Amino acid sequence: MGWIADGMESIRSLQIRQVLTQVVSLGMIVTSALIIWKGLMCVTGSESPVVVVLSGSMEPGFKRGDILFLHMSKDPIRAGEIVVFNVDGREIPIVHRVIKVHERQETGEVDVLTKGDNNFGDDRLLYARGQLWLQQHHIMGRAVGFLPYVGWVTIIMTEKPIIKYLLIGALGLLVITSKE
Amino acid sequence: MDWQGQKRAEMLMQVMLVVFGVVAFVVGYSIGSFRTMMLVYAGGVTLTALITVPNWPCYNRHPLNWLDPSEAEKHPKPQPVPSKKKGGKHHHK
Amino acid sequence: MHTSVQRLNTLVTFAAVLLAVLCGVASFFDGFNTHSVHGTVEVVKIRKFRKQLNGNEEVTMNLNISLDMQSTFTWNTKQVFVFLAAEFETEKNVVNQISIWDHIIPDKEHAKFQTQVPSKYPLTDQGSNLKGKKIDLVLHWHIMPKSGKMIQDKLPLSHFYLPEAYL
Repeated sequence: MGWIADGMESIRSLQIRQVLTQVVSLGMIVTSALIIWKGLMCVTGSESPVVVVLSGSMEPGFKRGDILFLHMSKDPIRAGEIVVFNVDGREIPIVHRVIKVHERQETGEVDVLTKGDNNFGDDRLLYARGQLWLQQHHIMGRAVGFLPYVGWVTIIMTEKPIIKYLLIGALGLLVITSKE
Repeated sequence: MDWQGQKRAEMLMQVMLVVFGVVAFVVGYSIGSFRTMMLVYAGGVTLTALITVPNWPCYNRHPLNWLDPSEAEKHPKPQPVPSKKKGGKHHHK
Repeated sequence: MHTSVQRLNTLVTFAAVLLAVLCGVASFFDGFNTHSVHGTVEVVKIRKFRKQLNGNEEVTMNLNISLDMQSTFTWNTKQVFVFLAAEFETEKNVVNQISIWDHIIPDKEHAKFQTQVPSKYPLTDQGSNLKGKKIDLVLHWHIMPKSGKMIQDKLPLSHFYLPEAYL
């Protein structure tokens, strides 16, 4: 009867091993995603290296759902660049084009005015009350690259959370049940 | 799908996708139409999926010949020597 | 690779990677496109030159613009955004760039044109240093691709002097 006990033992340890392997592989997926994100942050110098366009204010250049790659270099901001900026009191950053730049003689500080290509007027209405210019610290990065449509995934997921949970559940199930 | 079939399907998949990618780029670039490139590539991906995803009969020409059970009984499995360390080695399926 | 779902998964992943590569290569080939832009711009008339209520000076004018941007278009170009910046230096600011006119060119057929327009945005200063000032008119363009890297360039076109008195 010893071989039965032996067999049971081996089956049990096999299961533990398999569960552990699945957990490790799941962890690998999560951490590698994190590594890529943080690595991009280091390379681009921007706190969010990839942004999704949420509004149509830059149409026809950028449509809702397109993604932009940002870069934050030391170079001063110049007119014509497309920048992503945060306004005090607004959660969601805005992607618009710089139309006016004033750079100070001694300090090198910049005053910047932006406008959406598709908007009628400039962005002073979007800025905080009484704010006339954007300064360097409002700006999160300038757009350097572009890919269409990819951002729809995140738009759908933020607007329909059920789909997000379904997707995460399905992916988790797939990872856990799949055998190497 | 048998072992040889799996190997063939994977090879076919990779080669076809790369070939279609190159063809799509060359066609798109020479015509000067990004749209054409995307359409050619999408067509290529669909075709590749049709050829390599379903379990077509041509992937099952090399069935594995499992040992007959009666044959196996004639050659009994070597019993593992009772070792000090248990569960060290498993028969992976 | 022994189930259809697994094969489909592999196929979709590989196809997506290749798609990204295609877009990247298309964008890379754009880098070899040397564009030469020709254009002229002249200030036909200064319509308004005055001080705003907040003390900043403001200028509006009529412009005569003629451009040939055809060489900026490649197969991977979605549109070209072109604008005219008035650039000048003041005691306060080392750089002043004011966009006074912009235009979106949707395709190559519309990339060569001549137009007479009023300035779209007023030329403003931070303060009042504009009397008799030399203003450079610089054409900037921003090539927006269907995918990949965005390209920016500029070309100084002409310059003019503002009058010594308000109009």
